[in-house]
Amino acid sequence: MSGRHPPTAHQLDRRSLLLAAGAGALTAVGATACGSAAGQPAGKVAVHGDNVNFGPPIEAAGKQMKSVAGLSLVPEVIPSLESFEQVVKSSLRTSKTPDLLKYWSGYRLKDLARTGGTVDLSDVWRSAEAKGWVDPSLRSAFTYDDKVYALPMNLAYWVFYYNTEVFKENGLKKPETWDDFIKACTTLKRAGITPLHAATDGRWPSFIWFQEVLTRQNPQFYEDLMNGREHYPDKRTERAMQTIGDFADKGWFTALDLTMDNAAAQMIKGKLGMVPCGTWMGALVAGLGGKLGKNIDAFVLPMENPDAKPSMVFECSAFVSTVKGPDRKEAYRVAENWLHPKVAQAFAHALQDGSPNPKVPPANPAIAGVQRTVREKKVRMLNRFWELGPPELVEATVDDLAAFMLNPSSYRSVLRTMQERADEAWKVWREAEKV
Amino acid sequence: MTDMATTAKPVRVRRRIPIRSSHHSARRSGGSSGRLGGPLSGVPWGLPALLFVGVLLVYPFFRSVYGSFFEDNGFTSSFTGLDNYARLAEDPIFGRSVLNTLFWVAGTLLLPVLAGLFIAVATHNMRFGGVWQLIIALPYVISGAATAVVWKFILTTEGAANEVLRGIGLDSWAQGWLLEWPQNTLSMIVASTWQATGLNVVLFAIGLRAIPRETVEAAQLDGATGWRMFRYITLPQLRAMTVVVVGMAIVNSLKAFDMIWVLTQGGPARSSETLALTMYRETFRLFHVGYGSAIALVLSVIVVASSWFYLRRQMPDTRPEGTR
Repeated sequence: MSGRHPPTAHQLDRRSLLLAAGAGALTAVGATACGSAAGQPAGKVAVHGDNVNFGPPIEAAGKQMKSVAGLSLVPEVIPSLESFEQVVKSSLRTSKTPDLLKYWSGYRLKDLARTGGTVDLSDVWRSAEAKGWVDPSLRSAFTYDDKVYALPMNLAYWVFYYNTEVFKENGLKKPETWDDFIKACTTLKRAGITPLHAATDGRWPSFIWFQEVLTRQNPQFYEDLMNGREHYPDKRTERAMQTIGDFADKGWFTALDLTMDNAAAQMIKGKLGMVPCGTWMGALVAGLGGKLGKNIDAFVLPMENPDAKPSMVFECSAFVSTVKGPDRKEAYRVAENWLHPKVAQAFAHALQDGSPNPKVPPANPAIAGVQRTVREKKVRMLNRFWELGPPELVEATVDDLAAFMLNPSSYRSVLRTMQERADEAWKVWREAEKV
Repeated sequence: MTDMATTAKPVRVRRRIPIRSSHHSARRSGGSSGRLGGPLSGVPWGLPALLFVGVLLVYPFFRSVYGSFFEDNGFTSSFTGLDNYARLAEDPIFGRSVLNTLFWVAGTLLLPVLAGLFIAVATHNMRFGGVWQLIIALPYVISGAATAVVWKFILTTEGAANEVLRGIGLDSWAQGWLLEWPQNTLSMIVASTWQATGLNVVLFAIGLRAIPRETVEAAQLDGATGWRMFRYITLPQLRAMTVVVVGMAIVNSLKAFDMIWVLTQGGPARSSETLALTMYRETFRLFHVGYGSAIALVLSVIVVASSWFYLRRQMPDTRPEGTR
């Protein structure tokens, strides 16, 4: 070695090379073990989530947050539900955990809160409710042990999107009753248009039809079943599944591997009649060239059982603050201002979705129409299948429902299997509650 | 030397003649002389590698074996002995998963290995054969996940495969390739064949080039052509390469994951899961960590045992006569 030239790889002696390799490997191992979150510079707080579509709305909310609380929000997305959940669960008890999370409400939030790793936001909720910044009926979806552990981010209504031009061409109007809905399906099928989207692709969509039909037939039973107070093998679940099987037999459903994105595209093109989905699909529809309130609109699926109280399903993402996050003080200040009308409006309008803050005007005419229906009919809001019941149970029963969607005549054995899983999962859940 | 020259009285220096016997050498190197070349002197050099293998492979393996005796949800655990293994025997999803894994092994041995051999032999003496081989090898450079995305466009109900079938009048053949068992597993094996064949072609092509020209010429002089040439000359000469290709195929098929994950996530209704996917879902999605460890152990035993038996039977025995 002459020493005149900067050292290159082949000029390094063995010891340096070993040291470098060792240090590199340790860094890699360390980085893997520590999870993903590092603190942000002062004045910035990261919000971690699994949904790419939430990135721009978080940035938009961050701009308003800057004017309201002097803090910016930095979206950090792990675009895989599985990886995101793993990072959160494995890092929650370490100082490298993300400060703010976009999580799920209901039992998934309870599951997270009972680890003790999330901040009690009861005071923030109380203050927001006093100012009229949050719909009080949503509180139960965010509580564990009577304390609030998260704030709602969006308020997505589970509706049916449809193409207004296709309906008009076929002499159909927005369904107001169950009979209107059945008539629309029959007419569209006759016109050569597949009336309804149904999917097992991506696993989770398998629950959509079970949830939608059961809540329109027996909303109270749905609520009780999902909270472990009723059993799956029951005349009411059987009836719901027979209804779905009937739709499948009539050829009203799309192929079950049609993704949500493709379904939205086909609906805009007029090849598909209706797509059941949360109103968060508004951003997707707009991105694909659909004009909400013009060629694309949404309706709340009417009740099949006219004696039951009008009901529909909602979905809220949960804004969670962690106990051990590196910027936790700033994160708490963000939480205090998250439901501020300016911040909530920026978020909801960028997402083209409903807002949990009643002071926020609707993001588009489709949302406005749904909110009008909810107000006028005093619709009871039920949480989504995915958020109800122990997460482990839901993870398994979506696969059972996929088996049912593929073979609707198997509903009795599917219901028995679901009950076996429910017995075990609820037992584990309740034992953990005692601990 | 200078000192010696200036000394008045010559000093008698006892000259040592270095004698090195095998006995001597063995004794010295076995002692603590610190000289290089002894049996333990390699240990410091091997230590980093041993450490990495120990920390990243051996410890996790034994930790998984230990963990498989517990009912563990990631937060709390209790000792349950062999319960997890008893559950495996009764679990229909595990049974389906083992069956799918066997499909993958059989399919990978039948399709990419045979296709690779056929293409390599067919293009060996062909004009522009190298170009054809290159084209067939191209998919191998794409990652498994990207390949799966491409095949998703082909295999969905409204995808290219069904469009083509309908286009040529075979409407009744059009179906949901990824929706029902067993065609979802079989379709994914075909997709994997598209990708994996290229590497086998390259490996067999290398093997073909290594066959001595004299052997081939001698066979030709004896009148061997076509099938006889392939059966009695080419195939035996490719034996070493076949061992490598088949060995890799077995291991790769047993750990198939990325393509299945992207195409079906093991669904619908867990119908297309292999052991690797079942292990992942039980451990990381359902948080049955102990049960997942038991599946991991079963998978490891299958991988090691099948590789061991195959290689033992196929590898030429190089040990001396007396030690066999």
